[in-house]
Formats: sequence, C-alpha cells, structure tokens
Amino acid sequence: MITLAPAVAEAVEAVRLHFAGHPVEVVTDGAGGVFVTVEEVPVGTAYTSSVTWLGFQISAAYPDADIYPHYTGVLTRADGQPHGPAIQQVPWQNRPAMQISRRSNRRDSGVDNVALKAERIRRWLADQ
Amino acid sequence: MARRPVNPPADGWSLTLPPRLWNDLSRHLFRADGDEHGAVILAGQADGPRGQRLLARELLIARDGEDYVPGETGYRALSPTFVRDAIVRARDEQLAYLAVHCHFGLDNVQFSRVDLASHERGYPTLQQISDQIVGGLVLTPHAVAGDLWLSDGTRAPLAETVIPAGNLRRLRPNPARPTASDPLWDRQARLLGDRGQETLTHLRVAVVGLGGVGSVLVEELARLGAGELVLIDSETVDATNLPRLIAAERGDVDKPKTELAARNAMRANPQIRLVTVPRRVEHPEALRELVQCDWIFLAADSHAARHWVNAAVHEYLIPATQVGVKIPVTGDGEIGQIHTATRLIAPGVGCLWCNQLIDRTELAIEMHPDAEREQARYIPGIPAPSVMPLNTLAASEALTHFLLASASLHEDDDDLGSVIHRPRIRERHLQDARQDSGCRWCTPTGNLGRGANGELAIRHATNMRS
Ligand SMILES: [Zn+2]
Ligand SMILES: [Zn+2]
Repeated sequence: MITLAPAVAEAVEAVRLHFAGHPVEVVTDGAGGVFVTVEEVPVGTAYTSSVTWLGFQISAAYPDADIYPHYTGVLTRADGQPHGPAIQQVPWQNRPAMQISRRSNRRDSGVDNVALKAERIRRWLADQ
Repeated sequence: MARRPVNPPADGWSLTLPPRLWNDLSRHLFRADGDEHGAVILAGQADGPRGQRLLARELLIARDGEDYVPGETGYRALSPTFVRDAIVRARDEQLAYLAVHCHFGLDNVQFSRVDLASHERGYPTLQQISDQIVGGLVLTPHAVAGDLWLSDGTRAPLAETVIPAGNLRRLRPNPARPTASDPLWDRQARLLGDRGQETLTHLRVAVVGLGGVGSVLVEELARLGAGELVLIDSETVDATNLPRLIAAERGDVDKPKTELAARNAMRANPQIRLVTVPRRVEHPEALRELVQCDWIFLAADSHAARHWVNAAVHEYLIPATQVGVKIPVTGDGEIGQIHTATRLIAPGVGCLWCNQLIDRTELAIEMHPDAEREQARYIPGIPAPSVMPLNTLAASEALTHFLLASASLHEDDDDLGSVIHRPRIRERHLQDARQDSGCRWCTPTGNLGRGANGELAIRHATNMRS
C-alpha cells in the first residue's frame, strides 16, 4: 500500500466514491502523486465499444495543478468518422490510449475537483 | 531616523516575522503614547541553516484595557481570557505561543526581573495546555529578546528575529559587535559595511535553474562572498546553451548544469560551501535543501518550479526573487514587447498564484514523468529565444536588490515592488504584488508559516516512504 499526501489521498477517495462499483487502480507516479485508472466507464453509443477505461494523473501539486490530460482506451467511432480535435492517439502507462486534452483554468477546486472533471470528460466524450 | 544596527545571522533559535505582520506589530507596540502594549504571536516551526526557526503565522493584538490590563505583579499583563483563547488555538493548530510586549529604548533590550518571574509563574502551565513551545518576547524598534520554553523542558534564548522585507532585517537583544572583514572584500565592504559583508558570508542561498540567468547569479553570488550556495537543476548542458552559460567551455556539453555552476563558484571563491542537487525542484531532496535557505533565486522558467518555490517561500517564510526574461515572437517572426522581470516574492505579501503567474494546466503537464511530458502537451512547445545580455540585465537587477537588502541599504523597508524592464522602449517600472484574501499559500487562512507541519513537509515525508 502506498502512503499518499492528504490532498492526493482525498482526491483518490472522491474518485472511488464517484465511480462506485467500478474497479479503480491507483499506482504511484514516484513523485508524490498517482496514476488513476477507472475501469468500465460508459461512453455511449457513438463508439463501437460503449465502455472503456479512463485514466489520469493526480500530481503532487494537486489541488493547485489541473488534472490534465485524460486518457481512455482506443475507441472507434460507430459512424466511421475520425475523432475531432482535442483527441490524439498516444501510449499511456504502457498501453495504447487516446489522450483527451481539455483544460480547466478555473481555480475553484470545490467546483472542479478530480472526480467532477473525470465525469465531465466522460460526458464530453460521449457527446462527441 | 537613527541608523539601525546591521546584524549578521546568528546561530541558535530564530523567529521570522512576515513583513506585514511586523508592520502591524510595530504600529501596535511603538506608539506616540510611550506606553506598554501587548500581543501574542502564533508560530510554526522548522529546521533552519543555523538552528531551529519559529515562523510567525498570526498576530493576535491585545486591545489596551480589555486584553492588556493592569497586572497583579507587573505593570501590565495579558488578560486571562485572552491568554486562554490564544493558548487553545496554539494547541489546536500545533503552533508556538509567544507573548509580546514593548520596552523603552532603541538598540538594546532585555527582560525585567518582573518579566522573568512572570514567565516562571505562567509558562509551565501554558506549556501543559498546548504541548507546544511557549515563550515571551520583548521588543524595541531595533531590538528583540526572547525567552523560549521548549517541549523537552529546557529553556533557550531567542538568538535573532528576522524580518524578510525590503531589507532583510535581523534584530537581536544587542547590536552585533563589529568584526574586521577580510581585506579581500575591502572595496565592496566600503559599501556594505563590515557587518554587511559578514552577513553575506553567513547566508545560505539557493539558485533554482542554472541556465542563462542562473549561471550568472551563481558566478556573482560566489564573487560577492555568499557563504553557501544550493545549486538545483536537473538538466545537462546542451551545445545551444554554451553561448549563454557564463564561463562555459566546449567540453561542458552533456555535463550536468550543477557541475558547471559548482566549478565556476569554486573558481570565484574557494572558501564557498556548495550543495549541488541535480534534480527537479519538486524532488524531495531539492525541497529539503530549499527550505533551509535564507534566500531563493528562482531562475527556472517552468510552472512547476514556480509552484514549488512559491510554496517554500510562504510555508517557510523564505524570501525569493524570481528572475525571468520574456521575448515574444509570433509564428511569422514578429518580435513583441521584450521584457525582463525581477520579481520579489516576500512571505505573506502576495504570491505567484495571486498574481496569476502559474498556469494550472502547464503545472499539471510539467508534473508528468519525463517520458510523458512532451506528449501530454497538446500543442508542442517551441524553444523561446534567449540572449545573454537580457539574462544578465534581469540577473543584475535581482542581485543588486539582494545585496542592498542583505546589508539593510534599501531606503524603504516596505518597498517590495518588482522591476519590469522593457529594453525596446527603454522603460523600467515597479509593480506591486497583488494578494487574494483567501490565498491558500500566502495568507494565514492558508499555509503561511506552517513550516514542518505544512503541506510541503507532509508531501515530502509521504513521498520518502512510498
Ligand atoms: Zn517587560
Ligand atoms: Zn497568494
């Protein structure tokens, strides 16, 4: 078991709570933060697979740092079209992934915490 | 106004007061009524380069006649209610409790017998309640004495009180005795004074980022006679760095930048003490060294470096200077308004977050592991222009401020303005820092002065275990 700084540990707990029922994997980033992967996240019917994993880093600079970018499994659009902007294919944590680059510059970490941003990313992806 | 004593750093316990807290305290204590006034300071704690440090976080003013009342044994005393509220807060927030009052006089101060007797009557009980350091301070405008009752049952005098304002002031019970400085420093000691020069030889200064600006800072700090330098940079020398790294040689390519900086510092001053940390600033080893310095120069142009240095400044009350050069060039080669910025980051007086100088997303990207960082940048970064004279312009401004601050030569203690220089229009102006009232770094509602109980220390401890 890894020991985490309080802010990072709280953020991980909030993610577990928000995605209750989904397996959540937490791995240290070696610098006081963690890589988090939430499994079996629904992304809707726009893709050939309607569930995938959602991954991100909660760095040691959280809550001052944004959570950015987010990563998912490689998805193919059901309509055969290419992905729009802000999505790139990259490897992440030794697996093929899609990188989703959505900044949030608001500083209110009460409104824009890790779990809420993960949920926002999930919905944004589903709406594409 | 009488010239104030310049006191070189002293070994032993010290107390650091953020500039605004000192101003509030001075206004309360040193009034035209010539009467005695009181207050309580709540302070965090940390290891320092010359002993343990107390870090003032909050000032609780005792209102005359209500909280500061005629005493049973002495002239005046803090009221029992005021003391109780303060000591309970000290206990709950794990802070030292320091009762403060003023005496007449200017350059010298000491406790009266009545003061010391009241400490003996009161402090053992207060210490039992809070389980933290308790103590008393007595002040004049130029001198501070302190009597600390430590957690292990021993007692220690306060060696010095530090105010990192426009001048880096150090107050003692009595002015330091003059010592003759090494004739080597004769010409600059004629400006700094022997005690100003001696101050430099005791200071422990960090330089974060050893590129174009940092290499110049290191060279000059060593030549000025700074006692100890902490050199932090994780990069190696690239061939394209050579024109801007001071005293670099062709053979330095691929060497760590810390190695080159250390060589230059030694060449400038063989007596200098050096600590090199070839790591990024957020690495626990770098942070550990950083928080044990008297001054930090931030010459790394990354949001992560800004964030971690900013945290160290406010949590450990260490003044810093951020030195940067901005040369905006558009995609089609249009040159915008070049400027250099020499930004003072004084503890508790606004911060890099309050002044929107750190980008949350850039910070997130820079905290990625090396292998993922560039890929995480949606639009890849391109190298910014960099030329030596602009770097030295900014570095020189920063060093001049530091030198005058160390020897208490600035005319205005409260001038904490940053210098913005725009060479294309030959303009130079001052800019005061903004502060957000609820900032979680630079205000007492946040991490100001938390020291060893603060977020940096907690993160550092957990990271070492993982
Ligand atoms: Zn007294
Ligand atoms: Zn701030």
